[in-house]
Amino acid sequence: MSTTLAVPVTIFFASIFTNNILLANYLGMCSFLSVSREIKTSVGLGIAVTFVMATTSLLNWLVYHYILIPLNLDYLRFIVFIMVIAAFVQIVEMIIERVSEGLYASLGIFLPLITVNCAILGVSLFMVIRDYDLLSSFLFGFGSGLGWFLAIMAMAGIRQKLKRAQIPRGLEGAGITLIITGMMALAFMGFAGILNIT
Amino acid sequence: MTLQQKKKSLIQMQKPMKQMLLALSPLVLASIYFFGWRTLLIFGVVNIVGFLAEYLFARMYGKQVSLAVFVTNFIFALSLPPTIPLYIAAVGIAFGVIFGKMVFGGFGKNIFNPAISGRAFIYISFGYDLTSRFVPPVRGFPGGFSLWLPNVDAVTKATPLVALKNGEVMSRLDLLFGNTAGSMGETFALLIIIAGLYLVIKKTANWRIITGSLGGYAVLQILFWLLGVSGACDPVTGMLAGSLLFGVFFCATDPVSASQTTNSGRWIYGIFIGFMIALIRQFSIWPEAVTFAILLANMFAPLLDYLLKEQKKRKKERAKV
Repeated sequence: MSTTLAVPVTIFFASIFTNNILLANYLGMCSFLSVSREIKTSVGLGIAVTFVMATTSLLNWLVYHYILIPLNLDYLRFIVFIMVIAAFVQIVEMIIERVSEGLYASLGIFLPLITVNCAILGVSLFMVIRDYDLLSSFLFGFGSGLGWFLAIMAMAGIRQKLKRAQIPRGLEGAGITLIITGMMALAFMGFAGILNIT
Repeated sequence: MTLQQKKKSLIQMQKPMKQMLLALSPLVLASIYFFGWRTLLIFGVVNIVGFLAEYLFARMYGKQVSLAVFVTNFIFALSLPPTIPLYIAAVGIAFGVIFGKMVFGGFGKNIFNPAISGRAFIYISFGYDLTSRFVPPVRGFPGGFSLWLPNVDAVTKATPLVALKNGEVMSRLDLLFGNTAGSMGETFALLIIIAGLYLVIKKTANWRIITGSLGGYAVLQILFWLLGVSGACDPVTGMLAGSLLFGVFFCATDPVSASQTTNSGRWIYGIFIGFMIALIRQFSIWPEAVTFAILLANMFAPLLDYLLKEQKKRKKERAKV
């Protein structure tokens, strides 16, 4: 593999496993906690998050490098990134509503939720801090999305199984989910050192 | 319910767990022989703390203490280095029993293997004591039965896995008969195999998971070995070294945390563990991969079970049409 491709590909796999946005950085917890109750809805949200993460990291890269930097507006990046993400999600929602009613009905609730998913803003900010190029940013966004998808699927499976468990009343819901997330993060520690991104 | 109900005994007897304890007992004796009487103190502390942790919750739930907690205790203790400070052992088993099992409602409800959870927790929290303070075993007669602890001036981090990764050659006979440094119960490969086979014959451990894990590990390791990845040893030596056999025979087969509904699920679960062991051992910063491989497999097992069940349902529906 040529070295120009090796870096982005490493970033892609690292963002799924060793630097999982949810299990290593603990970003995107809110929707993870609330939606992972059912497997079917988790699939829907997982796909939506992956798509939006990949696309917005691309858009934000373009906005950052072609608008914010030339105009010296670097300090506005938090607000601008959020605006780009919110606008993009709105547009996607409108397009999906026009094109496919069925998909809109099954995804409809989650699309607005994505706007407030901190993992998406986090991906865009990491990409700026770590100084990625265009391809790396896109693959980083895509990989982070897949990593988040993987984590929420595993959690949804576990919570399906937990329906038969007798959890102490004080720990039901968010409490036990956070404990399990901690254990999942512990398991993902095993990947440490396999891939490194800076 | 009548008031005349028989008073429950404190400990709930479980037949498979009795067999597990029976299978583990020769390993406990072997660990005293190799590493001296201090190991017995570790077993004692771990068992007391583990029992108390379970008792505390079991009383709250109005349940009995399960015999399984002693299996957890012994598996956990056997996976520790013989020089382990006692407070670390106590913290580990308390974490394992409480957060690995009791918060889910006790025996049979846990997602992760409690012994492995406890071990992973102290492994990343107390890295130095868990990875760098191994002692070489005692040999000859009466071996460790006349000692408290082997010579601690000889502490080393050179377990077989580390030595192999540095390109040193290990004798397979030494590995087979436990003539190496390592955790208390993981060194004597032959005894582990015999005890494991006993469990397979008694159907306490599922042979599909074991075969899958060993096969998965062998396939990936042969690939690394043939490709000449630096530090990759041949699969037979790799299998005998470290806690692979111990983990695969006694922890991966735990029916509660494993994939438990279908045989194809058990195969996939086993092969996944084998792949992960080879991958993490070879490339990650941790010399020992079995702990993480099993935790990862535990984490995806419920999803795997669900997907297989859905697939079966769909097949049935199609057959009807």
